[in-house]
Amino acid sequence: MEIEFASLDDSLARFTLSGASTAFANAIRRAMIGEVPTLAIEDVRIYDNTSALFDEMLAHRLGLIPIKTDLATYTTQDKCSCGGAGCPGCTSTYTLSVEGPKTVTSSDLIPQDPNAAPVYENIPIVKLTKGQKLVIEARAILNTGRTHAKWQPTLVCGYKNYPVITVSDACDACGNCVDECPRDILEVKGKQVVVADGKLPECSLCRLCERACLASGIGDEPAIKISAEKDRFIFVVESDGSLPAKEIMNRALTYIREQADELEKQLGELSGDDRK
Amino acid sequence: MASTYKCARCKQKVEIDVNVRCPYCGHRILFKERGAAIKELKAR
Repeated sequence: MEIEFASLDDSLARFTLSGASTAFANAIRRAMIGEVPTLAIEDVRIYDNTSALFDEMLAHRLGLIPIKTDLATYTTQDKCSCGGAGCPGCTSTYTLSVEGPKTVTSSDLIPQDPNAAPVYENIPIVKLTKGQKLVIEARAILNTGRTHAKWQPTLVCGYKNYPVITVSDACDACGNCVDECPRDILEVKGKQVVVADGKLPECSLCRLCERACLASGIGDEPAIKISAEKDRFIFVVESDGSLPAKEIMNRALTYIREQADELEKQLGELSGDDRK
Repeated sequence: MASTYKCARCKQKVEIDVNVRCPYCGHRILFKERGAAIKELKAR
């Protein structure tokens, strides 16, 4: 199994995964979405709210704000030494006290721990007119996207099979497929259609080129054929900013390994085998 | 038990017993005031 990065920064990772089954590619995708913990606001205490939104709506909106997460300082509540009661090791508290007229944004959420501040400062929460008031205390805890989508560290997170485009000798370079391709990855070079340099991964496997080729009256078989490599995948992982994309991948892969080790251990116990 | 209301016109505090009407100015639109209790919610 091999991973090759096309681009990598804190917010976005593009890579190809080769030599893996579809099941494994999907396991990585699901682990990145649902098994990597992040901070999100869970408990909200509302002292005063004369805004236009209901308390429940405000609480919901607060929960969806992405929060910078340092996984070295925070643990999940069930693993915390406080036993889930709420201590600085598993919870981060915020206060918000605003009087209108003003648009309340995520920058008005004052964190107790500056390292666990909202990722973006300009996320609108509610608009207040003159005289309206909002006083809120909130607690963020660490949990996974499996429990609720607000704990997902990823935005876009998906994969597709690596495309394979073959052009046979029957191609008469009519250019119909070049015009039809929505992503402009084909071009006419000499007397044949070829894939433009470096554009192959952009193919969405839509097969519009195959249809255009058939429609040009070439016969029963199109000269251009689109297929996919069964064991090679193009991944796109976008972080919401709570964790760097690289850490999301690391944590997801560690999770898969732990699960596999656990399965092996349980199977060993069942069969009476003493391997650890 | 009667909760306090606020008159929409004269902004006075009003207690409702039988009639929904402000005893000071006669206005019939009253706003219910938010209670003093802290509301605890789950952000879901």
